Amino acid sequence: MKLSDLLHLPLLLTSSILSNANYVSAEHTSNWAVLVGTSRFWFNYRHLANVLSMYRTVKRLGIPDSQIILMLPDDMACNPRNAFPGTVYSNSDRAVDLYGDNIEVDYRGYEVTVENFIRLLTDRVGDEMPRSKRLLTDDRSNIFVYMTGHGGNEFLKFQDAEEIGAFDLADAFEQMWEKRRYHEILFMIDTCQANTMYSKLYSPNIIATGSSELDQSSYSHHADNDVGVAVIDRYTYYNLEFLESQVQDLSSKKTVGDLFDSYSYEKIHSHAGVRYDLFRGGAEAARSRLLTDFFGNIQNVEIDSANNVTVDSEMLALGETIARLRELATEEERAEAEAAAAAAGKVEANKTSRPAQSDRRTKNFATAGPLTDDNWWAKKLTGAAALAGCTALWVLGSYLESPSKEKTK
Amino acid sequence: MSSLSEDPTSTTTITTTTSDNNPSTDNNTKRRKQPPPETPSHIRRRSFIIASFWAIVLFLGLPIWWKTTTIYRADLPLGEMMDWADGKACSPEFPIRVAIDAPDVQANEAESLVRETQQTLDAMKDFPGHRIRLEIPETPMDRAASLNPNSNTALVIRLKQGDAIATTLHPHLPILEVTYPSDSIVPGTSAASSLSTYLATELRSTFSEEQAIMSYLLATSSIPSERRPQDFSQQITESLSKRMTRSLKYSRTYHLTFSLFTSGPSPNSWEIEEAVRQYMDPVLNMLNSIHNFTIDTQVQLYATPGVQSQVLTKEDLSSFINAAEWPLSPSIGGAPTVNFVVYIGNQTIGVGSESETSQSWLIPQWGSVYLLSPPPTDYVPAELLKQPILTFTSHLLSLLGTPQSGSLPMRLSTLTRIRSADLLLRASSSLGSLARLSLALPSISIPPSVADGVAKSMHHLELACASSTSSNNGLEHARIAEEEAERAFFEKSMVGQLYFPDEHKIAVYLPLLGPVGVPLLMGLLNEIRAWKKRRAEKQKAA
Repeated sequence: MKLSDLLHLPLLLTSSILSNANYVSAEHTSNWAVLVGTSRFWFNYRHLANVLSMYRTVKRLGIPDSQIILMLPDDMACNPRNAFPGTVYSNSDRAVDLYGDNIEVDYRGYEVTVENFIRLLTDRVGDEMPRSKRLLTDDRSNIFVYMTGHGGNEFLKFQDAEEIGAFDLADAFEQMWEKRRYHEILFMIDTCQANTMYSKLYSPNIIATGSSELDQSSYSHHADNDVGVAVIDRYTYYNLEFLESQVQDLSSKKTVGDLFDSYSYEKIHSHAGVRYDLFRGGAEAARSRLLTDFFGNIQNVEIDSANNVTVDSEMLALGETIARLRELATEEERAEAEAAAAAAGKVEANKTSRPAQSDRRTKNFATAGPLTDDNWWAKKLTGAAALAGCTALWVLGSYLESPSKEKTK
Repeated sequence: MSSLSEDPTSTTTITTTTSDNNPSTDNNTKRRKQPPPETPSHIRRRSFIIASFWAIVLFLGLPIWWKTTTIYRADLPLGEMMDWADGKACSPEFPIRVAIDAPDVQANEAESLVRETQQTLDAMKDFPGHRIRLEIPETPMDRAASLNPNSNTALVIRLKQGDAIATTLHPHLPILEVTYPSDSIVPGTSAASSLSTYLATELRSTFSEEQAIMSYLLATSSIPSERRPQDFSQQITESLSKRMTRSLKYSRTYHLTFSLFTSGPSPNSWEIEEAVRQYMDPVLNMLNSIHNFTIDTQVQLYATPGVQSQVLTKEDLSSFINAAEWPLSPSIGGAPTVNFVVYIGNQTIGVGSESETSQSWLIPQWGSVYLLSPPPTDYVPAELLKQPILTFTSHLLSLLGTPQSGSLPMRLSTLTRIRSADLLLRASSSLGSLARLSLALPSISIPPSVADGVAKSMHHLELACASSTSSNNGLEHARIAEEEAERAFFEKSMVGQLYFPDEHKIAVYLPLLGPVGVPLLMGLLNEIRAWKKRRAEKQKAA
């Protein structure tokens, strides 16, 4: 017994190694982007411009709106101080209106909170949350997470009201990994002391990059004098510059390493940080990932074998099968019915087999109705009781009021 | 409390009386005036006051603080949950039932044949989770029932007398027809044993695809490698992993969206309802026991694709869908959407050097696209939609993860078994994730509903595990188990939102505890000191 076990061992090892290796190299099938701005108020115009330009970029590279979660805490386009109403620009040449006419903001204004962000990542949401506002990823999804706002050592402020800590973020990612909610993550953050935000991450397969080290500020790139405020941050500006000029479409072969190599202190005015150690395969594997693996929507399409004839014939056969099976089923039903009819009589048997058939027909057409019937009556009753209670209160109130009035008179 | 508030008045009256009686007032006109000595009743009252403060703090304040700040964590059966995740709780067994239909073979001969074939199969060292079980239906009624697609029998072997050993797989029904020479059925002969070996190998090859998929599922699950099957070649893995990547995650209901996109103003209507009813509904009906489907359709004119070139290469196809402008994610209901797009335009697909061109392509986990050349009229009749809908139907089957070999009923029954295995493994791994999570994040709250969901999930897992005899029930139980496990894991109130470092806690509590705690503590210390002093004096006096 032991000897056979020993013989099995190398087999076991190789099989497990092979399967692991396969699992690692498995491709991803969908791309998601989570773009989060966290600051309110007009003077933080640039943060929203940062987020919107990232939104434009991932959309340009093919990620559909249903797979982009955009969180905008304020509405700069409709701010009364905006000299160009309805638009947001990230460059003083004002060439591209980032707001445009085709934009889907998933979380807006006061919906952008730490709680909602963590709920989004861990998908702990109620049934009422529409699918478009959820991160419906699986173990084959690559996610690009971009955050910008005002931060400090190991925290990022949300709307000047609360903050997310580096630990909270790390725990959220760990919960995602535990539930196999991602394949790989590119985490990018542009805020002061940004690199501290990813220092606490501990889940595998994350590439992280930030704009500035501990005790360093992250600076804005330039201001637009007509808008009156800074319009974009340096780090985001140079990321976008690289993406615009080097990654023109999905066929680009530029890697994550190329992007990270383009960062320099002269350009960004702070030390951009990169973290590879969480990634399986280390720096080498992380650097060799294509940018389109995170910013684009790569779909590995399968073209049908050109001769449609085979498909056609197969399908025809399929149709025949189904017809035959249906016949078989009806025959069987009839046989059963006939067996039952031995006692009851044939006429009735025919009657019973007919409705069965018509049932199957009608099943295909669903009629409109309430989505859920649970506790329908209970809900109605509660509503009626509440209404009756209110009326009773009102009656009581008016009754109590009227004698007192009479007395005062 | 009322007694406490009365105290000051009573003490003042007592002090005034004692100070009147004090004889030493005239002696100390230059020295600081000393307070009058306390009577034992004062001392006792003061210690009562201090004790009552402490009692309130200890017996009312502390419990309230504890009760209001403690995080509720329901008891989870962590050990059992981990057992499920590690595959220890139930060795997932997915038996395939094969019935032998041999009308012209005597009962004892058939039995010995079944016995020998079963022995050969068992000796073939397949992994224990996947076993082929042979049986003989006893009555003709049973035989008829075994052909019903919803029955538990996966395959019927129909034995026929003939010249030589040969097998044919029935193209439409789950029947394997075997012809055998008449002498090979006599038990004990070498011909008989060769027949049983032959049957065993045939059966094995028939179910080899299913077996490979099962092995793949087990290999990519959370079950540690010692419990996994060993026979597993890399080639199979690669092709399977591609296929599994393509298929959608299991859901009871899928939403099918049929979209007609045209490059110009026409055609602007299509007979999609009729086409779906004719060409797709039969298959959807057959899938009824595994999935439900809801359908919606849309037409959009002047739709520009993501790629404008006349001949589309494989790279172009992946960006053909204009994700930014085409409304393809209706997010109707809670079900995942499968998209089927018919695009009417003049573009063609160029694949390498082949002269023949294809019309359609499949996008993994998303749906498929069919290019249709513009019809002469403003409207697309159902006949023209036949080919697209048939293609979509076969794409749908492959998106659902249906195996490729065998007749359709066999593929579907295999799909049922694969899906229940898949769900079982998923639910188990969810339970394991939840168990690990609750250990890893001690500050996360676990409401009772989570424990409830876990209990339900494990109950149904056990049922699914036990009901291996009936595959349909197994699927249902596995589905509920997976649903409950997911609900438990994604419980809304389990948001580990705020991590407080210890410094934060001190910063919160200090302003509160400082002003309250210091007098309280000092009062207690003074009292104890005074009590000790009195005791010492008493001893000295004694």
